[in-house]
Amino acid sequence: MKHPSQATLALHAGGDLGPFARWRIDRHLADCDQCREEVAAYGDMREVLPELGEMPEVAWSRLAAEMQANIRLGLAAGECVRTGEVPLRRSLFTGARAVVALASVAALLVTGLMIERPIPRLSLRNEGVVVQSIPNGIQVRKDGQALQLMNAGAKEQQVTYSVGAQGSMRARFVDQETGNVTFNTVYVEEQ
Amino acid sequence: MSRSSNFRRVSILGLVSALCLLAQEAPLDSPNAIKFDLKPDSPVALLSTSMGESRVTPRGAALVLDLHMALSLRNTTASRIRGVVLRVVSQEVAVGGKASVSVPSLNVGPGEAFPIRIDLQLMRPTQAAGGPLVQVDLDGVLFQDFSFYGPDRLNSQRALTAWEMEAQRDREHFKRVLAQNGPEGLRQEMLGSLARQAERPQLDVRLVRRRAVSGVAVSSEHTAQFAFLKFPDSPVEPLEGWAELAGNEAHAPRIEVRNNSAKTVKYVELAWLVSDQKGQQYVAASLPASNPGLYLPPGKTARVLQDSELHFTRNGEPVNIRQMAGFVSQVEFSDGKVWVPNRQSLENAALLRVLAPSAEEQRLSDLYRKKGLQALQDELKKF
Repeated sequence: MKHPSQATLALHAGGDLGPFARWRIDRHLADCDQCREEVAAYGDMREVLPELGEMPEVAWSRLAAEMQANIRLGLAAGECVRTGEVPLRRSLFTGARAVVALASVAALLVTGLMIERPIPRLSLRNEGVVVQSIPNGIQVRKDGQALQLMNAGAKEQQVTYSVGAQGSMRARFVDQETGNVTFNTVYVEEQ
Repeated sequence: MSRSSNFRRVSILGLVSALCLLAQEAPLDSPNAIKFDLKPDSPVALLSTSMGESRVTPRGAALVLDLHMALSLRNTTASRIRGVVLRVVSQEVAVGGKASVSVPSLNVGPGEAFPIRIDLQLMRPTQAAGGPLVQVDLDGVLFQDFSFYGPDRLNSQRALTAWEMEAQRDREHFKRVLAQNGPEGLRQEMLGSLARQAERPQLDVRLVRRRAVSGVAVSSEHTAQFAFLKFPDSPVEPLEGWAELAGNEAHAPRIEVRNNSAKTVKYVELAWLVSDQKGQQYVAASLPASNPGLYLPPGKTARVLQDSELHFTRNGEPVNIRQMAGFVSQVEFSDGKVWVPNRQSLENAALLRVLAPSAEEQRLSDLYRKKGLQALQDELKKF
């Protein structure tokens, strides 16, 4: 038979268990003389403890004053032997914590800015229409609008890029799935 | 408060922020967002469409569309298909909202299916008008006999024809090597091709088109003259040409050409090569005739010019241009026939080390790399 812990029995004796736990312990106590005795002993102890708290010869006020004096003495002694300026209690956001917190806030701000303002910076300079290769693809863009064709199924080092001076860019590669050669082309203007 | 408690709070804050971002994404509502348009008489039929992880994400005042579209098309004609061009248009992007996905070097028989993938990212204002975000339609299909179907709004017929001419040229070359030198000769040829592709220097070129760029002089700019590589069988001969150079920028190229053939020419394209300060040569751009209605009778001259700015960098560093060269890389006659340089001419001019291989050479060398010599020989036998 598995017996409840001493702490559980003590809580049961004081009536501090929840309804379900109390029900479980009651069921156990009905069959277990040993635990029933333990609970009875805890009950007896509870009856004695209030009497201990009322012992007239203990001067609680004097005891508290002496403890406070000892704490002040300890603090004063600590000040005397301290070598550096280490505060006893640090602020929440100091040192590495502050750096981490500020970096996190900055990262969130930058991410938000990039998401909310996706217009490429170059477009602000009225750069015109641009065609160029980008990582794993080609792109035509103007004023923050962009059209990109990605090199699907290609190994990047085996992609050949070529420019048409009339305003086009082409990426050529072998699709690794189909084995077919694919030409992706983006155009600047109507032809 | 303990340090671990602080970290826990920061972690929770980050997690909540990430969840907020994710909550803004939405799967693509494909029937309304994408319009795939095939005419009733189209030579290909749409078998299936998969949108994969396509999403629309609002970002402030903009909308970001991530489109991952896998199409399966079927050849509904009695002819073999050699190439297909799909036009991708976003009406809401004011300038340049147009792209294409082309698949040349196909060998699709009647009734056979073939896949095409479109991976597109589009950023446009949220307040745009209604209608589909992206429209995909067929711009052209080239058949084995060089017949063509399609509206050809992107000059797909010329591009597909030129790629097929190059494909035939290079397949013939590899078949000839196999016949003359056996499988080992073909292996050496493939290894040489793969080595050239790995070693070929590439420039990062950014092209800028501005309004009224002509006449705007950049400080330290100077006019540089083209040197020309001339091929004996070229129907068009470059006579003289210049461009404005300033450091790693070049603009306003113009080249005088003469039609030496007996047929009228309606399109000319030159390859533009540049050399850096160390003499390393790169392909800068292709230089097509600016006039879409070019009409160049036999013996007459015309000027090929463009008004773009090119900016050259490599590994993030500007590449200053010292010299320029050019050669005629494509000619289209008024009867629709297309001329491309032959392989011997490219080899003689040592251009194979500078130019990218043809699409077909790239496909065949990739096949050899992945599946070996026997698979390559089997593939050559199919044509």
